[in-house]
Amino acid sequence: MSEVIKITDYSWKYINTKTPAVESINLTVEEGAFIGIIGPNGSGKTTLAYSMDGLIPGQYNGIKKGTVEVFGKEVEEYDRGELQKLVGVVFSDPEAQFTAMTVEDELVFGMENIGLSVPEIQERLDWVTELTDLKNLLEKPPYEISGGQKQRVALAAVLAMMPKILILDEPTSMLDPISRMRIFDVLAKLKKEKNSTIIVIEHSLENLIPLADRMVMMSDGELVLEDETQAFFQKTGFLFEKGAFPPGLIQFFYELNQRNLYNGDYPLTVAEASLKLNEMIKKGK
Amino acid sequence: MNKTLLGYVPEKSLIYAVHPFVKLFFLLVVSLFPMFVSAPDWNIILMLVIVLLMWVSRVNMSTLKIYIPVAISMGTIILISYTVLGGTHPEFELVAKVWGVNIYWERIRDAIIVYFRVLPMIFTMVFFLSTSRERDIIVSMRSVRIPFVVTYITAMALRAAGMVLEDFQIVRQAEQARGFDPVGKSIAYKIRQYVMYMVPLFALSLRRSEEFTNALVARGYAFTGEATKVKRADYILTHYSYKYFDYIFIFLVSVSFIALLVLRYGYGYFSVDQSWLIDLLRNALSVRGG
Repeated sequence: MSEVIKITDYSWKYINTKTPAVESINLTVEEGAFIGIIGPNGSGKTTLAYSMDGLIPGQYNGIKKGTVEVFGKEVEEYDRGELQKLVGVVFSDPEAQFTAMTVEDELVFGMENIGLSVPEIQERLDWVTELTDLKNLLEKPPYEISGGQKQRVALAAVLAMMPKILILDEPTSMLDPISRMRIFDVLAKLKKEKNSTIIVIEHSLENLIPLADRMVMMSDGELVLEDETQAFFQKTGFLFEKGAFPPGLIQFFYELNQRNLYNGDYPLTVAEASLKLNEMIKKGK
Repeated sequence: MNKTLLGYVPEKSLIYAVHPFVKLFFLLVVSLFPMFVSAPDWNIILMLVIVLLMWVSRVNMSTLKIYIPVAISMGTIILISYTVLGGTHPEFELVAKVWGVNIYWERIRDAIIVYFRVLPMIFTMVFFLSTSRERDIIVSMRSVRIPFVVTYITAMALRAAGMVLEDFQIVRQAEQARGFDPVGKSIAYKIRQYVMYMVPLFALSLRRSEEFTNALVARGYAFTGEATKVKRADYILTHYSYKYFDYIFIFLVSVSFIALLVLRYGYGYFSVDQSWLIDLLRNALSVRGG
């Protein structure tokens, strides 16, 4: 697997702030990886995401130290529009990112920007509307559809540009559980069928954990923990300490562990937890 | 039903068969008609034609009721401006003297002419907005090769107007949820309190602008529309094509406009002297004034 993003000793301080938003970040993302980033509000997750898409330093004033390389090239070295072909970002508030009058216009806007021809746009539009189940909404104004549909439009608009790396900044923060699941279903399909590199910043971990290959924990602007998903959640005590709360089932097995009733890997899904509990019952624990 | 800028029009309306540019062309050209027509009779006929077009397009005619107060207040303002505030003109024909103010026939006539010039223009605009979506405006502009930057700024302005209204509603509801109740208060109080809405609305607008800019940059937008130095395809235009009847409409509207100019300036038609409505009114007022 080749490295697609390499962040080395990276710090960013917004102008007129006293402390850096992110500091001394070292992170490598490999091609096809699914990375989950968690951390409390104000821990620097969004700043990190914007840094990987070139929005920082492009759109913001501040002081940068270290390097952020995408496909071996510093983000500032890319021409306008070139980096956006490689890295797509979905923001947390879908409505704020709508720039067009109909869902269809919204979906084709990015494709037109990167210079695709009409047949290419048509082909990608068919693919992305099928993937995100938006075929019936193409004629509708994007601000008149439901919250879940809006976020699927925002995701589809970025997917249609077929970026090699997809970054989602709290994509489900405004959604109900079913809409959340539908977004993660789309991400699961992308991971399976397209082997896309996906980075998701998310507070709701139930849907994220089954898909994530690696997890990253941010706290006070620093990357405090990074590991494979299973190993990451084995450090649940540390996560608690840093203000992150793993899903209830991990907390439950952590509690059992603290009472010396369990000492194996914490299950990451309900199915795994059910199996482990069965085993424990059989063993008479 | 399809949502238009001023309401809803059934999906099966004939108006959707027409190319968006034809609608814009109709608006721009037909709005000029009343400027060359002094006789109110012809402008009333134009209004009736536009109402007929609305009916054919299946626009919900009951929505027209909301414009009645606007039409009445506008007419009243024009009439007062021309008559009560029209000044003293000894050379004009005096119709009445109301509380020491001279009311002249010429000023009443001019007020009526102006009123029936403005009214068809408003009807034409209402017809356009009732049958067009935001996308139609953009498509019609792009179809005549107006630069992408201009059409996109227009689209963003339309979008921003909607967002500001939404934000205003949110701020207002938030104020009401915290007990703010302007009902029964004086206008001065209400105006003062409206300033209170402006502060959060302004802050929200700044945040929206930042998010909007980020969204544009993240999707490779450049002001020129050519972020990657390649020609930009206009996918949306592929959904629209001119049909034979579009050309017929454009031809008819153009010929009507040319004919209007020729008749007006070549043969003196549409002048106020040829208006039977003005004659009728003059006779009526002369009897009363006599």
